[in-house]
Parts: sequence; C-alpha cells; structure tokens
Amino acid sequence: MINRRKFIKTSGIAAAATALSIHSLDALANGELKHLTILHTNDVHSQIEPFAMNGGRNQGLGGVARRSALIKKIRAEQQNVLLLDAGDIFQGTPYFNLYGGELEIKLMSEMGYDAATMGNHDFDNGVEGFYKQLPHANFPILVSNYDFSDTIMHQSTKPFKIFNKGGLKIGVFGIGIELKGLVGEKNYGNTIYQDPVLKANETASLLKNEHKCDLIICLSHLGYKYSDKKVSDQTLAENNDHIDLIIGGHTHTFMAQPQDVKNRAGRVTTINQVGFAGINLGRIDYYFEAYRGKKLITSSPYMISDQLDS
Amino acid sequence: MKKRNPLTRISLFFNMEIKGLSYICNSISTMQNSAKLRTLSFLLGSFFLCACSSSYQVVKSNRGEYKLSKDLAVDSSIIRTYQPYKLKLDSQMNEVLGYSDNELTKKLVGGESSLGNFFADAALVEARKTSPQIDFTMPSTNGGLRNDLPLGAITLSNVFELMPFENELIVFELKGSDVQTLLDYIARTGGQPVGGLTMKIKAKKPVDVRIGGQPFDPAKNYSVLTSDYIAGGGDGISSFKNPVSSKVLKLKIRDALIQYIKETKIKGVKISSKLDGRMTND
Repeated sequence: MINRRKFIKTSGIAAAATALSIHSLDALANGELKHLTILHTNDVHSQIEPFAMNGGRNQGLGGVARRSALIKKIRAEQQNVLLLDAGDIFQGTPYFNLYGGELEIKLMSEMGYDAATMGNHDFDNGVEGFYKQLPHANFPILVSNYDFSDTIMHQSTKPFKIFNKGGLKIGVFGIGIELKGLVGEKNYGNTIYQDPVLKANETASLLKNEHKCDLIICLSHLGYKYSDKKVSDQTLAENNDHIDLIIGGHTHTFMAQPQDVKNRAGRVTTINQVGFAGINLGRIDYYFEAYRGKKLITSSPYMISDQLDS
Repeated sequence: MKKRNPLTRISLFFNMEIKGLSYICNSISTMQNSAKLRTLSFLLGSFFLCACSSSYQVVKSNRGEYKLSKDLAVDSSIIRTYQPYKLKLDSQMNEVLGYSDNELTKKLVGGESSLGNFFADAALVEARKTSPQIDFTMPSTNGGLRNDLPLGAITLSNVFELMPFENELIVFELKGSDVQTLLDYIARTGGQPVGGLTMKIKAKKPVDVRIGGQPFDPAKNYSVLTSDYIAGGGDGISSFKNPVSSKVLKLKIRDALIQYIKETKIKGVKISSKLDGRMTND
C-alpha cells in the first residue's frame, strides 16, 4: 500500500543529523516531539469513481470512497492531521459537466479537507460557476495572488489560513497560475493575476514574522517545472525565504520522491506533487521540538526520510 | 575550537511575542567573564521564564505516498453520498452513440494522431453543414484531446471524457499572413489536429502546405474553423486576434462530435479514422 522507499537520506542540502542539537536527538529517541501529518491531493479532476476497467493505464485506480477510508484510518492513528488540495478540483469526468462541481466539493467537505487552492480548470464554468458551488464547501479556498475584488468572488477566498494543531501553528496559503492564455478570457473575467513569487514571499513572510508560524505550506497550482522560463514550483522554491513545503499541481507530475530545494535563505523548501485524479494520496510527516527559549539557530537542517514511521 | 558556552546561540537581537507585547532582548553572544555570565544568566533566566511563547522547529520529516488501488477499503458513507448522482449520470452516459473500427489514440505519429484526425474531420463535417465555405480547421490543440476513444462501442461518456470542455466552434476569415502564423505554430509544436489541410514539417517549419488540395497562397484570405478557446489566445496562439470577419456557429465542439458519431450509426457504418499522412514531421 505504501510505496516504501528503500533508503533513508539526510537532507540533500546539509548533513542534517550532525547539525542537530543533542536535545533534538534525545527528543527523537524519547518521542518527546510534536507530530504533524500532512495529507495531500492535486488535480483530482472530478474523478469521483475509480478509473473504468477499460484497459487504460490507470484502470481501477483512485476513487473518493477509497481515499476517504484511508483518510479516516490515518486520522484515527494520528492526532494532528491536515488534509490539503492544490487545485483543479473540477473538470475531467461527466460528473462535472452534469453537476457543475457540486458533488466534488460536497465530497471534499465530507472527507474533511482543511483547505484547497484554485487551479485553472476551476474557472471552467467561469468565476460564477465556482462561486455557485462554494456553499457546499466547509473548508476555505486559499489564493494569495488572484485579486477577485472586481468579481462575484470578492469575499469568497482568503490568502492564507493558520491552523493550530496541538500547539503548533501551521500557516497555509495558496498560489495560482497565470490565467491569460490558459483560461478563456470570459471565464476568468475581472480576476487579476499577481506575481506569484512576490505574493508568495509577502504572504510567507507575514506568516513567519507576524504570525510566528512554526511551519509554512504553499498550495501551488503553478506546475512543477518547465523547460522555458515560465514560473514554476521550482522557481518559487529557489526564490523564497520561509516556505517549508510546496504542495504542487497542474503538471500532473508523478514524483518518485519529494524534491528538496535550497531556498534563498539557505533552508529547505520541499516540493511534492502526486500525479492527478486522486490516484495517489501524498503524506508528509513533520516532527517538531520546542525551542524552550534556549536556542535560536539561523538555519535548521533536519533529518529527512522517504519512509514513514508508521 | 572554543568551548561551548550556553549563550553562544543567542542571537544579538531577537523578538519574542508575549501576550501581544514585544520584548527586545539585547544579549551578548559570548561572554567569558564568569561573574558577568552569572548575572546575565540570571537575567536571561527570568526573561525566559516569562518568555515561554510556543515556538517549534522541525527536526525530522518523513514522506510517503499511498496508491489508491483496489485492495484498499472503501468508505460506504461516501458512496451513499454520490450514489444518487451516479445513477442519474450513468443512465445518460451509457448510451452508445456509434462504433469504431479501431482505437483512436492521441499518440502522435509524424505530426498526426488517429484521434486528432477524427476530431478535426468530425468538427469540419458538422460545421460545413451551415458554413460550406470553410477551407480548413484546427479545432483543438493536442492538449485539448483529453482521452482516447476505444475500439468498438463509443458511449456518450467516452465523448465527454474526450471533450469535457464547453467550447464552441467559430468560423474566421483570416488574412494569409495570419494563416501563416497559425501554420508556423502547428509546425513549431510538432503538429496539431487539422482537417482540410496537409503539410510537411521540416526543421519545425511548415512546407508543402496544401489547403483543400491547393498550394497555400499567403496573399489569399482563408476561411478557418476553430474553437473559442484557441481564438481567444489559448495555448499562446494569436493568429485569430485580427480576423477579417468571424461567425459563431452556436455549435459546441462536443455536440458536433456526438452528432457525427450518431450519424455513422444511422448510416450503419463504423468510424474508421486512421493516420493518412496529412501531417508529416521529419
């Protein structure tokens, strides 16, 4: 069930283990750590049922009923869970054409999603089409670089949300892709796209410095990487100071393992994306120790393993 | 190496929030004098007693991924939620529209695909019923073909998966120079779905272009069928920005495909869209 990865590596950026304080290692051994589990999807594209058994590459895979059962199981095992989605909830099966995304949003609410951002296909029935389904959402839509002020959605999204999980402050924000040329002009209407790297840094810095978040997560629909200069998760990872994790989407990338990028501040920004259509559920666990006021270090390498503890 | 001092890690200036108040603590990073150290330790000690704002740092991260395969349990309450939607949808979507002689796939062979050829030909046939003057079509990019069509029965569901978007067909009269930029785009991107047009791609440039069997004449205007998505600049195509004229057909692309497949069934024939060399790529 779990794609067990064969090796344990320390951070690709620094020899993490040696840089950890004695206290960290003690805490690791004693289990005195706070534990956060992040579960994530992207580009589910209205895949309510598993792929049909039609001989296709993905036949029999995915489906919300399995995802929901798995999420429930993990929630029963773990205290602090965040369930997040990186956009393109809509479009891809007739469920969307017939019901306009109502069922997708209802099911995400029932599964207990904590937040999602918007993908380009979430504009497929226009800004109005997305707005119409929001009463079915019991989770926030986070986008920090679309200005909806001059649209019907002017009060429908938030740039970020801070989650308090067992004493941990987790800042989550959203970043959307450039709409021009990708989405029909009449579908995005007066939505204004703003520079994603600029807005991401602005928002992450606010979450870090003003709100003192312990972990900062960006839900991004920029896409993993491009051969040309188009701004991607790669660009964002290299050009930010405070993002710990980018949960990506758009390019439907199946990553062999998450990628750890050295960011502008010399710290780790991890990028992960789990293909599309809910074929996979991603999971990233973070273990935290308290500062206890006795140490403040400027860079914080940590141990990374592509294998789960449980 | 210098002996570790408990104060070495305290940065020179740092801010801590305590119940909305901001305290600034200026400390000295290293102190060797023990008397000074004791004094400072005391001061800092009392400071930290009240400065116990919760701050955590990551010491470890474990990552994994679950594949949602058939050996996983299902949540029956979720199925109960979507069942009524599924029943209504299935009753509509399982209708067989027609039959295909071969699987129609997106796989590009020398700039063309069996699915792209089918898609373009079907759009052209249906649009010419009201606009017989159309010279050629590029109704979609390869990226717009969202799913293959199977061999045998083609259901309404298959067509929705191939063309889930609500895009409409529009006929444009374009200047030869704008047709040229479209041909350049097609060649540069290694071939796109077309009908009524043949060309060779050599070193990413269009050559031997024939429209309706005649060599392409850049001095002429042409009647071109495309989608509102492409016309609006989708996928970076700007050829339709300054047309001589345009006409919205009030025909969705998906409806044109459905109509076309149904007509083959009525005629008692199967769809047989193959690679025919309309677009070669060296």
